[in-house]
Amino acid sequence: MLNFPLVFVLRLVATLLHAALVFAVAPLLLGVVTKCRAWALGRRGPPFLQPYHHLYKCLRKSALVPETATELFAVWPVAVFLATGVAVLLVPGFCTGLLTAPLSDFITLIGLFAIARAAAMLGGLETGFGFGGAAAGREALFSVFAEAALLVVLLGFVLLAHSATVDGISVAFATGHIGISVSLGFALAALLAVALTETGRIPTDNPAGHLELAMVHEAMMLEYSGRFLLLLDYAAMLRLLLWMDLTGTIFLPFGMARADDILSWPGGLLLWVVKLGAMAAVLALFEVSTAKMRVFRVPEFLGAAMLLGILAGVFLFVAARIGS
Amino acid sequence: MVGLPGQGMHVRLDALSLLFLCILGPQVLASAVAGMRGSVTFWVFVLGMVLALAAGDAFTLIFGFELMSAASWLLVLQGDQKPAAFYITIAVFSAVCLIPAVFLPAGSVAFVLIVLGTGAKAGLAPLHSWLPKAHPAPPAGVSAVMSGGMVKVALYVLIRYAFMVLAPAAQPWWGVVLIVAGIASVVIGALRAMLEVEMKTMLACSTVEHVGLIAVGLGIALRAKAMGDPALAALGLQAALLCAVAHALFKPLLFLGAGEVKHAVGTTSLNWLGGLMRGQPRLGGLMLLGAAGMAALPLGPGFAPEFLLLHAVIGAAATGGILARIGFTAALAALGLGAALALGAAVRLIGIGFLGRPRSLHAAAAEDGRRGPLIGMALLAGLMLPVALLPSLVLAALVPVVRLLAPQAQLQALAYAPLPLVLLAFIIAAAAGFVLQRWGVRGTREVAAWNGGFGRAPAWLPFGDPATQPSATGFAEPVARAIARGVLGRDATDPAELYLMDPLRLLHLRGVRVAERIRRATIRERLAFVFAALVLFLLALGLAEGG
Repeated sequence: MLNFPLVFVLRLVATLLHAALVFAVAPLLLGVVTKCRAWALGRRGPPFLQPYHHLYKCLRKSALVPETATELFAVWPVAVFLATGVAVLLVPGFCTGLLTAPLSDFITLIGLFAIARAAAMLGGLETGFGFGGAAAGREALFSVFAEAALLVVLLGFVLLAHSATVDGISVAFATGHIGISVSLGFALAALLAVALTETGRIPTDNPAGHLELAMVHEAMMLEYSGRFLLLLDYAAMLRLLLWMDLTGTIFLPFGMARADDILSWPGGLLLWVVKLGAMAAVLALFEVSTAKMRVFRVPEFLGAAMLLGILAGVFLFVAARIGS
Repeated sequence: MVGLPGQGMHVRLDALSLLFLCILGPQVLASAVAGMRGSVTFWVFVLGMVLALAAGDAFTLIFGFELMSAASWLLVLQGDQKPAAFYITIAVFSAVCLIPAVFLPAGSVAFVLIVLGTGAKAGLAPLHSWLPKAHPAPPAGVSAVMSGGMVKVALYVLIRYAFMVLAPAAQPWWGVVLIVAGIASVVIGALRAMLEVEMKTMLACSTVEHVGLIAVGLGIALRAKAMGDPALAALGLQAALLCAVAHALFKPLLFLGAGEVKHAVGTTSLNWLGGLMRGQPRLGGLMLLGAAGMAALPLGPGFAPEFLLLHAVIGAAATGGILARIGFTAALAALGLGAALALGAAVRLIGIGFLGRPRSLHAAAAEDGRRGPLIGMALLAGLMLPVALLPSLVLAALVPVVRLLAPQAQLQALAYAPLPLVLLAFIIAAAAGFVLQRWGVRGTREVAAWNGGFGRAPAWLPFGDPATQPSATGFAEPVARAIARGVLGRDATDPAELYLMDPLRLLHLRGVRVAERIRRATIRERLAFVFAALVLFLLALGLAEGG
């Protein structure tokens, strides 16, 4: 049994390592997804490091402020970035048992997503032009179903893992004898649907689109430039990593390291990179094989996710009934 | 001595009354500072509420409650005549239910009457449709106390009777009644808040939603208490009481702010506002804080109760019969729906009303709020801070109340800690700020908005073409199209109006017509009626004799 200070130091180091890794790797992950997508379409695609260049470019450009914007114009990108940044620190990456683990309650996480979403919507409404406002209205619609779906999926996890923190769910799924169940399949489908919507990927939104009328996430930050755009784009990259971490830590928890066991770290890190790469490839393949749907099809898509989440819960209830 | 013969009136304070008096205090103070201190009716209204909260016997309770109803009716009447009639009808209905209920022996009949009486006063679905009409009518200071205080007094009566007076006869289905009514209130209230264009009506709809949230918490606690689940009972009570505390701070703040918008612009219709943050930075900042509470965002006062409530619903879904568990799963989905809609409504309030470009000259020329209301709002905002950042302390202060309502309650520590989140955000902000300062290009340049490449507006439109800006209606259009027309029906009518109030009105109309017909009968018709009645009577008598 290790003594307390050493465990604490190990967990602190793991947490710092986790923080450094997520903030460093997030742009690369987007680069990998974009590259894989281009490859799948038979193109060469931009270099893996392109997102870093983009961020550096934004850093070196002066920020333009529309004359119709209010003083709060600069507040919204900061709020989006901070909420996403805190959320990404709460979700375990390569190891469980981080110092932030007790904070990582799923509902807190949903709340942090809500802050980021509200700030992004307000940023879209800030300048008072059509595209931002229309996109914010659509985002409001999407969020209604996404949040409901996320909550019912969470119910299934809590029933199985007896814990509401992401860390606890991950540990329970990694060590417990959960097995493969229909409920988890449904929950996975529902979670992926919400993840695609939240990160603004096909089929609900097109990150590579250039038509303002069809944009949702991009249209809300249309007026932002320079360091404000840097924060918003970086937050979007962090969000992609966050959702991959979340999916991975819940559904692929095998091989995750323990923060207080330094010997398990290299394996955990390696597997984390492999999992992220695999998920990026799957995402790219999925994106090239589907088309973006009309805006008013998205509520049906997310409504189906919500029903799947409810079904996952119902199946668990029935299983508990039969089992007892 | 006033009161029932031989009994008089008694005042008795316990933890529950004290809590609700504390809930009432700040908003009354804020409203008084905001300009209501000269109105005698307002103080009678406050007196009624205090009397109802401090009552030691049923007569005093009813007396205070009805004093509150009557005074608030006068206040609504001063603002607008039209909803006042509807309001007094509901108040009379509430009295008709409450007065027999408090004198009945403990049992299900008494509980149903209490729920009808207090639910009608608190705006619990399906008896809520008066609330979005009546609450916005009086001046802002009164609206604030009606929404933040009067509703709470009704809930106080509900809590006192459901958990204490009628406790010996408690049944699990009592809780289910509250949960179902609460969920309906949440969905309808949040949806209408998203769609309403008038700021004060929108805030009143949001009050319906929050009353629903409190009712769900109470219902879970009541059911768990009757079924002997002390942990869940404590969780539900904590959620409901904390929600009542938080709502009593941010909703009066928003109503006072709406009053200042009305004063400065002349309208509270979101479709005529816009860009108010420029002319009213202090008012806008305070409204932003209130809206964060209304949207139940983390680090705001509204999140901790929402957090507890969602955990209570999850806890309730984890045990019990399969039908109940499926029901709680659906309730969870409905609460998620409601939370996201409340967020949309709050974003719409700030984004359409205070950000963007002015939609009218009055909005462009709006000046910052007056001193009194701003001080009142700042007071409420200051009190929101401990609720937002130290919810555990507030919960610790609520322990005696929870113990009083559910003596066996097992309290657990709150798993949501805002301060570490603030610390994390601060660290990230410091790191990002360092990078931006060290390597970034500082300074900003003001330019015309890019707007996807569209040209500048002509010089005679200093704020651009107002028609190119999404309106409040336009912002809500996707939600209206995808959800509201399914749930609320065409024209987004309230289902309570459609299925409850309209048939009642029709029945009333028919009754009036019949009565009028009888009143207008000619002398011949009356004589014929009397004669026919006599013949029938004799016939019946004869048949009875013969048989």
